[in-house]
Amino acid sequence: MVYLDNAATTPMNREVAERIQEAMQKYFANSGTPYRIGLDAKRLIEKSTESIAEHLQIPSSHRILFTSGGTESNNLFIKGLCFPDKKTAFLGLEHPSVTESLAFFKQFGNDPLSLLSFQVEGRLDLNSIVTIKENRVKLLCLSHVNNELGTVNDPLQVISALEKESPQTKLFLDGVQAIGKIVLNPDMWKGLAGYSISGHKIHGPKGIGLLIYDSRLVLNPQMHGGKQQFGVRSGTLPLPLIMGLETAVKHAVVCAEQTQKHLENLCHHLVHGLKILQEQLPELNIRFNSLIGNNVTHQSPGMVNFSFPPVEGEVVLHHLEQKNIFVGLGSACSAQSKEPSKILMGLGLSEEQARCSLRISFSENNTLEDVDQFLEAFGVAYQALYPTFLQKA
Amino acid sequence: MTERKTVLVRYDEIGLKGKNRKYFEKCLLKNIKRELSCSDDIIYRSPRGRIFLDIPSSFAPECKARLKFVPGIASFSIGVSMAPDFEAISALSVQWIEPKLVSTGSMKFCVRTRRSAKSFPQTSPEVNFEVGSRIMKQLSSKGLTVNINEAEYILEIEIGRLETVVFDNREPGLPGLPVGSSGNVLCLLSGGIDSPVSAYMMACRGCRVHFVFFDNQPFLGRGGYDKVLSLAKKINRFQTRGTLFVVPFQDMQSAIRDHCNEENRVVLYRRMMYRIAGEIADRYNFMALITGESLGQVASQTLENLAAVSCVTPLSVFRPLIGMNKESIINKAIEIGTYETSIEPQPDCCSVFMPKNPVTRSKIPFLERDEQKIPWEELRDAALARMEIIKVDDL
Repeated sequence: MVYLDNAATTPMNREVAERIQEAMQKYFANSGTPYRIGLDAKRLIEKSTESIAEHLQIPSSHRILFTSGGTESNNLFIKGLCFPDKKTAFLGLEHPSVTESLAFFKQFGNDPLSLLSFQVEGRLDLNSIVTIKENRVKLLCLSHVNNELGTVNDPLQVISALEKESPQTKLFLDGVQAIGKIVLNPDMWKGLAGYSISGHKIHGPKGIGLLIYDSRLVLNPQMHGGKQQFGVRSGTLPLPLIMGLETAVKHAVVCAEQTQKHLENLCHHLVHGLKILQEQLPELNIRFNSLIGNNVTHQSPGMVNFSFPPVEGEVVLHHLEQKNIFVGLGSACSAQSKEPSKILMGLGLSEEQARCSLRISFSENNTLEDVDQFLEAFGVAYQALYPTFLQKA
Repeated sequence: MTERKTVLVRYDEIGLKGKNRKYFEKCLLKNIKRELSCSDDIIYRSPRGRIFLDIPSSFAPECKARLKFVPGIASFSIGVSMAPDFEAISALSVQWIEPKLVSTGSMKFCVRTRRSAKSFPQTSPEVNFEVGSRIMKQLSSKGLTVNINEAEYILEIEIGRLETVVFDNREPGLPGLPVGSSGNVLCLLSGGIDSPVSAYMMACRGCRVHFVFFDNQPFLGRGGYDKVLSLAKKINRFQTRGTLFVVPFQDMQSAIRDHCNEENRVVLYRRMMYRIAGEIADRYNFMALITGESLGQVASQTLENLAAVSCVTPLSVFRPLIGMNKESIINKAIEIGTYETSIEPQPDCCSVFMPKNPVTRSKIPFLERDEQKIPWEELRDAALARMEIIKVDDL
């Protein structure tokens, strides 16, 4: 099997799975109870939390909360901080868990400011900061790495621009697609109000994520109950998942440089291969929606999104599936809708270009042979399908 | 000995049958036995007009839930079999009524007797009076009153030749005819909202419904296939022993798309589906095709287009939803539990295979001319050769 949809999820590392299994059998006690086995569980959670903080170099000014994943982290921070009337802004190319959380405020007369007119190649143009200031934006929400394109909003650049031009605006980054793919610079923490991470995107377990946020901020809880985790996120803590996540974070950080380099090789090989394919097949016209080049402050090497009208991405995807090759749609329909997502359309692509696209996303497990297999199968599928779609066009 | 209960099952339309009534009764009894085969401690009796099940009390809740999946039952009651002894009946009734009375403070009640054993010395009104007055003697001081027309609690007594059953509940069953009494039919199942409802409706008319699905893999993913598996399983719950035929349709669809007139495509796809379904029906002796079409709902469901597809097969084509509007179909789908599955998003091939302007009043000679452009017999046989056959019970 060739798995090239690592932005959707990643296979769990064996080490992670083993640690979870062990914890599930050994440590069942509720970490909120006062007796010994409960306190043991609590101690293990504290240890994992410390280890995560240490590996990510999170300063003591920031708090780490365990959530059910990226979606919850994004909801909790945005709604917890800005509900109902704090002014927010976003680029317009974020994951639905960000855009929909912001859209939720509309019913209270608080329209989030879209900066889509300031997007350049999928990234925020920092000339927008003036507008952000004029609109007295309290929170700017961005993807660190865009979930469909892999384009990067460099935290340090955004932070320094905000500090200079609009110091009252705080920055929240959805970091779900960043960690494990690109090296995180720990200098970013002090300028960040909040940051989200998901376990299953870094070979960890599903059902757990992190919200890392400036502990001076008051977040209104979205989940009420036993007041666990400072009362901000109630619910018995899932010790096995936390230990699994710790292992995954540790691995991601320790291997970060090596992984980034490996992904750069894969990415370069893919782009090069697609260009050659394009030369060989006169009917194939590729438009790269991701940025091409080796600048990780602009583009994650873990993702390549490209369009190839008139052949539809979803149909190619199923043809590749027949060959046991699994890729992502360039414009993922959200689970409930068949419309192409707003991201590629937001870049200015036509609906056809958006539909006729794929997203290849790598992990450290992929090899150059995987890319070769994909390129070959893609070429075959494209040639087979082209006549059918040509007639339609 | 474990405590026992008696379930009294009332037929629906079988009650109207004449000489062949026995056949329908046998069918229903067989279906009930199959549905309740999870328990081996049930005694079945079927005197005229009724089916009695003697079950362990502990099985009553499960029995109640399971009987609701057996078409052909007007209603059923779970009660107790006993001798037609007024004292004993009253004593038991007091036990049933008293706790309810205590919690409400007052209650209107009545006794209704049905006497199929005419040899029994008292008439039904006399039994009502005898039992009712005994109960009143004990409970009137606690707030029980008799009210025949607005009773909040109805105690029922059925006095038969062999046994007398006392009960205080009536559960609605699934009306219609017992599955299998009408024969086997084949339903074209799409994964949408309508076709599962039409299959269910035919199961309630005594048909054992089998299913055929036209699959678009690898053009589309396995999503549609999985959905149909799940729908077939849900409908099969009402009948058991259904078969699902999955026919690879991609090559046929591509051939039509590439060689025939664009506006005719949809009707041509459907004519081929009907032909293939007809072949399957012939092989397995299914007696009719069932579809979820509703007149005028979409372009392919106009009178002209329905006629243009029906004429390719000599089989009867039944469309139980033909006169229903979308809302009533949706309500039915919710009721039978297929709606949630049907509305799961499923990739469709609209953008590739559907014409921009599909014909609404197709002309059969034009369709036939289009069909001459493709080797459809070959494509049909190839699809049938690669057909997957799934026993829905095994899913």
